[in-house]
Amino acid sequence: MKGLFSTAEAARLAVASLKANPVRGVLTTLGIVIGIVAVVTTMTAANGLANSFKESVAVLGADVVYVSRTPWMFDGGFFQFRNRPRIEFAESAELKARLPRGVVVNPTAGTDRSVKFGSRTADNVGVVGTTEAQALISSTVPELGRFITEADVHHARRVCVIGATLHENLYNRTDPINTELKIGRAEFRVVGVMEKQGSAGFFGGPDFDSQVYVPVTAFMREFGGAARNFDFAVKAPAGVGVADFEYEVIGAMRGVRGLEPGEPDNFAINRMDSLVAMFNNVMGVVLLVGLLVTGVSLFVGGIGVMNIMLVSVTERTREIGIRKAIGATRKAILVQFLLESSGICLAGGALGLAMSYAVAAGIDRFLLPASVSLPIVGVALGVSMVVGVVSGLLPALRAARLDPIEALRYE
Amino acid sequence: MGVEVRDLVKRYDMNGAGVQALRGVNLTVADNEYVAIMGPSGSGKSTLMNIIGCLDVPSSGQYLLDGHDVSRLGEDELAEIRNLKIGFVFQTFNLLARADVFHNVELPLIYRGLSPAKRRPLVAEAIESVGLADRAHHRPSELSGGQRQRAAVARALVGNPSIVLADEPTGNLDTVTGEEIMALFDRLHRQGRTIILVTHEADIAAHAHRVIRVRDGLVESDSAEPVAA
Repeated sequence: MKGLFSTAEAARLAVASLKANPVRGVLTTLGIVIGIVAVVTTMTAANGLANSFKESVAVLGADVVYVSRTPWMFDGGFFQFRNRPRIEFAESAELKARLPRGVVVNPTAGTDRSVKFGSRTADNVGVVGTTEAQALISSTVPELGRFITEADVHHARRVCVIGATLHENLYNRTDPINTELKIGRAEFRVVGVMEKQGSAGFFGGPDFDSQVYVPVTAFMREFGGAARNFDFAVKAPAGVGVADFEYEVIGAMRGVRGLEPGEPDNFAINRMDSLVAMFNNVMGVVLLVGLLVTGVSLFVGGIGVMNIMLVSVTERTREIGIRKAIGATRKAILVQFLLESSGICLAGGALGLAMSYAVAAGIDRFLLPASVSLPIVGVALGVSMVVGVVSGLLPALRAARLDPIEALRYE
Repeated sequence: MGVEVRDLVKRYDMNGAGVQALRGVNLTVADNEYVAIMGPSGSGKSTLMNIIGCLDVPSSGQYLLDGHDVSRLGEDELAEIRNLKIGFVFQTFNLLARADVFHNVELPLIYRGLSPAKRRPLVAEAIESVGLADRAHHRPSELSGGQRQRAAVARALVGNPSIVLADEPTGNLDTVTGEEIMALFDRLHRQGRTIILVTHEADIAAHAHRVIRVRDGLVESDSAEPVAA
């Protein structure tokens, strides 16, 4: 006996009502469209940022501990690091001696130089002095030729391995092997090209693909390496947790430095996962602020929808009276108007999502790898639905509570 | 069965001053009666019609519709009763402007929760019975006044109600069209419907078989046997 007004039927009514006033519908939706574009773009960009960060950080290796003069990330207090002694090349051998057998220690130092091949020049190229041990630490391998060998380091040969981007830019796709590359004022013979490591130019950090690697000994001779500050990449032996290993490295390095117990470390230990944790913290705040700001635009959009729904309820007072007279319950009217407002918002959300795809494609092309993922689509549609229901609630309640007699008399 | 009203009182509170629109109305309308309720404006006939149509409830007294007391029901229960037992025909037609005839007639069945498959033949039959089959997919704005009122009658009939309640059904129509509509009501009555007309026009009321006059919130006269108190 109970006449339950079906939701499908209400949805049909909502669609009919939207069709009846398309211009208004579109204008009302605009706020939601903009809000959804903002939310989706923020989330997509954050996602892309996180992915490209993880990609570039993965190059560093999860089981590698870096010994440096300063932490990679620190807030203020630069001077406390400024007075620390440099990490000297000679210390790498001492450190290795104090660590268990099988531990790989790779000392590196870097500088910027112009790199020239024929008539082509690349400025501010990161030149990295490294050893054959890098091949044991990094997962990337040469795409052409070979990496630096022990003999290269031992004899301080002027050979180099160039990054993929550098290869593209300087060699115009010709074979670079055994060509002479001018790095600064010195000539180096190219022996290898590294495979592409992906976009790693993160936070203005090194772009691995446009670096050039030379034997650390040749580096010191040609680029004044004796006075340079080094970084040591120390790889944990298989089966040792990187957190435990970190303490071992600290102990060994304190020994190298001859620090008394109680004296603070005058070097820093860096790890990829601490970088990731730091990044996640920063990213969390950025995302929160971003979503807060974009949330405001959605809120404004929601107010627009509420406004137009209130107008719509007033305009359709008589219609509501008719519906009530022929048996619409309060719930039926409520559902009808809620569906209408959520329909408006869902349509706006879908439109915004479509536009976000275009925006994401633009970001992907010019900034960083980004794509609208399925969870983001879900969030966008869910959020627009919620905005629709919330902004439609007041108007729908007003409609549902209308007195049928009064409503029928309304002109 | 039908309509049975006992000591019906309706008070309105207007700016603190109590106004009694109905002051103790007693009335019985049996099944398949054809009744006209007449009275000048302010007589309380609109209030009486609203209560009989279950749009409103009395302040005191009793209203039995088909033997069920509906005088104390809540809003949603009244909506359900209206949907099942009352068919309204209004002076101003009150069709949904944006919907075609078919959808307008379909509406009571939608609120009753019938599936589209069950609705379709009932709607088609109701539209056919008022002679609008060729106009089923026209909107009200594309119809004449008489056709609009026919559509409204079809909407009132489609749910097979206990009472067809018509409030000045010819008030917005010319005399000839008005007569056509009244002929439609006459036919519905012959087919066994209970019809209550509310009007102030004597020639419209003349179609009914019984005339009840309301004045100052009371039944002034009833052409049928006086109801036993």
